[in-house]
Amino acid sequence: MHDLHEKHARSAVTAVELNAVTRLFGANPALVRADVRVAPGEVVVLRGPNGAGKTTVLRIMATALSPTYGHGSVLGFDLVRERDAIRRHTDLMSHRTRLYEDLSAAENLRFWCRLLGVDGADIQAALDRVGLLEVAGERVRGFSQGMRQRVAVARTLLRRPQILLLDEPYTGLDAEAHHAVDDLIREASRDGRAVVVATHHTMQRGLADRVLFMDGGRIVREGEP
Amino acid sequence: MRLLRHAATIAAKDVRAEIRAKHALATLLPFAATLLVSFGFAFGPGRDVLLRTAPGLLWMAVLFAAVIAARRAYQIESEDGALEGLLLAPIDKAAVFLGKAAAVALQLLMLVACALVLVVVLFDLTVRGPLVLAAAFGLGAVGLAAVGGLFGVLAEAARTREALFPTLVLPLVTPVLVAGVRATDLAATGRTDEAIAWLGLLVAFDVVFVSLGVLVFGFLMED
Amino acid sequence: MEIAARGLGTATSRSGERLLGVAALLALGLSATLSLVVAPPDALQGEVQRLMYVHVPAAWLAYLSFFVVFVSSVAYLRTSRIRWDRVAAASAEIGVLFTALAIVLGALWGKPVWGTWWTWDPRLTTTAMLLLIYIGYLAVRRITDNPTRRARWSAVIGVVGFVDVPIVHLSVVWWRSLHQQSTVLRLGGPQIEGSMLTALLVAVGAFTIVFAYLMAVRLRVGRLEERAAREALSPRLGEVEEAGR
Repeated sequence: MHDLHEKHARSAVTAVELNAVTRLFGANPALVRADVRVAPGEVVVLRGPNGAGKTTVLRIMATALSPTYGHGSVLGFDLVRERDAIRRHTDLMSHRTRLYEDLSAAENLRFWCRLLGVDGADIQAALDRVGLLEVAGERVRGFSQGMRQRVAVARTLLRRPQILLLDEPYTGLDAEAHHAVDDLIREASRDGRAVVVATHHTMQRGLADRVLFMDGGRIVREGEP
Repeated sequence: MRLLRHAATIAAKDVRAEIRAKHALATLLPFAATLLVSFGFAFGPGRDVLLRTAPGLLWMAVLFAAVIAARRAYQIESEDGALEGLLLAPIDKAAVFLGKAAAVALQLLMLVACALVLVVVLFDLTVRGPLVLAAAFGLGAVGLAAVGGLFGVLAEAARTREALFPTLVLPLVTPVLVAGVRATDLAATGRTDEAIAWLGLLVAFDVVFVSLGVLVFGFLMED
Repeated sequence: MEIAARGLGTATSRSGERLLGVAALLALGLSATLSLVVAPPDALQGEVQRLMYVHVPAAWLAYLSFFVVFVSSVAYLRTSRIRWDRVAAASAEIGVLFTALAIVLGALWGKPVWGTWWTWDPRLTTTAMLLLIYIGYLAVRRITDNPTRRARWSAVIGVVGFVDVPIVHLSVVWWRSLHQQSTVLRLGGPQIEGSMLTALLVAVGAFTIVFAYLMAVRLRVGRLEERAAREALSPRLGEVEEAGR
């Protein structure tokens, strides 16, 4: 955590920063000269049609993809050179829930807690918060998409990442899971952690601070939620 | 130390999932058994030929099973995006390689134990040097699992080109095949002291490929 | 590594390439004269032994090119510079070509001399495994259109494959020693005649220049391909991006 405090002193105003970031897949530009700045505690929403580049923005911030051109930083750490540091503090949640079919919900969480370096003592409490305590010992194979999403929410709750990146978090969710995601965002923002959400859905009033509209791999306009 | 702890976590998860899914039991074993019976038809029924080819056939079955097991090991990671989770976890990526290789090696050893029984029954193989035999399969399984754990991640990415993974892996593991078959042969006929050199070759292969895997696996995972 | 890179740059410029081409032609001409006219026919094998002057240099290029793949793969993994990937790719293609050539020539030579196209001789077998490993290498180069990822994956195989070759060779040598057959005719050795040795060395030298020339051409083609891809892309990007090393 020392490194984090030190970096924070240097860049207290930006949690995430992309400078003219371009990402190509082969010859296809998925993202073109994107400039993004997210402050700590801020909730930024990415909107746009499919293929607009929203997922690419999130995956670059999470260091799952590297920029082809341009550069950027998360919590002051360089996107390419300091990936490991970024990964310690960043969580990317998408409809792919990263759960193993043949493990129970609790076993899945215990596995990820071990790898993510998170204390696994509160697993039951986290599952309770997303309303899955009764099925904690059941295999994920029998879960609906909504239930899986809620397990993923529980994992992010346990982790409390400094940077929370959500890729279409509301897709395929039941009402209960929808609330769980909203809670996650609200709590993160209240604690001064930055949130970036890519979604088609209308967000609850007052949840988002800023909206970036994307099209064809470019950020075309910025607006109020 | 953290590397080994993370590797053990991943291996334990894999083993647990495999025990529950019974993939090895339901797929690998029948596959190896079918293969061995087919070999019997191809080279039998003369007892001499079968006996002479038995070590080779056994190792061929293990080799093919290793290819399947390694693919499977990464398939469960990509079903629901878990591979990306492993990539983004703040761990040394070598832990993924070691964990996967360990889980694959365990499955192979279980398979070998069953296949060996089958070969003893079907091909009338007698084993005079059980220790050498155990060492050969133990070391061979580690070597095959190391190569499989390293390149299995490519097989998942190249799903549309089924033949690519075996084409890449089989030439690389030639030393395991050669040394394993010879050591098994010598163990069967009781000339165990001659087998030491072959076991040494297997040790060398294991050391080289486990170290290479630890060194380079991260390059295969990162974007 | 910087110096090597700059040297590479000079050799692959247009004038450097032309110079290499001329040198390759001259060297091949000299080598052909020496091996077909000057060197005497072999006392035992007769004219067919002259295959040695292409077979041995082809085998030499096979191993040389895979050594180059190995070195540039290590260089790529250490520096992430895409030019090392281009070098590895070009060298692997040339290597596969010459490995196949060496094996085919060996078979053609083996038939009249040993009475068989193929024998499981350690050198032969290792060379065949080498060919298979690098065919796998080239196959991996096709599975992704993400250039960075392709470069990294193939660099890993370029390293692992090369490290594996000595182990393969050792295992094959031991394997062969189990059922030793009548000793095959060995090349080289002290009994080779002076003019034959000269012809062989010149042939090896000539093939090495050919390798350098082919590398220069392949690297230029690689650069052109990349530029074409970039130019096809730039209108969509709105402005030409910085070329990126």
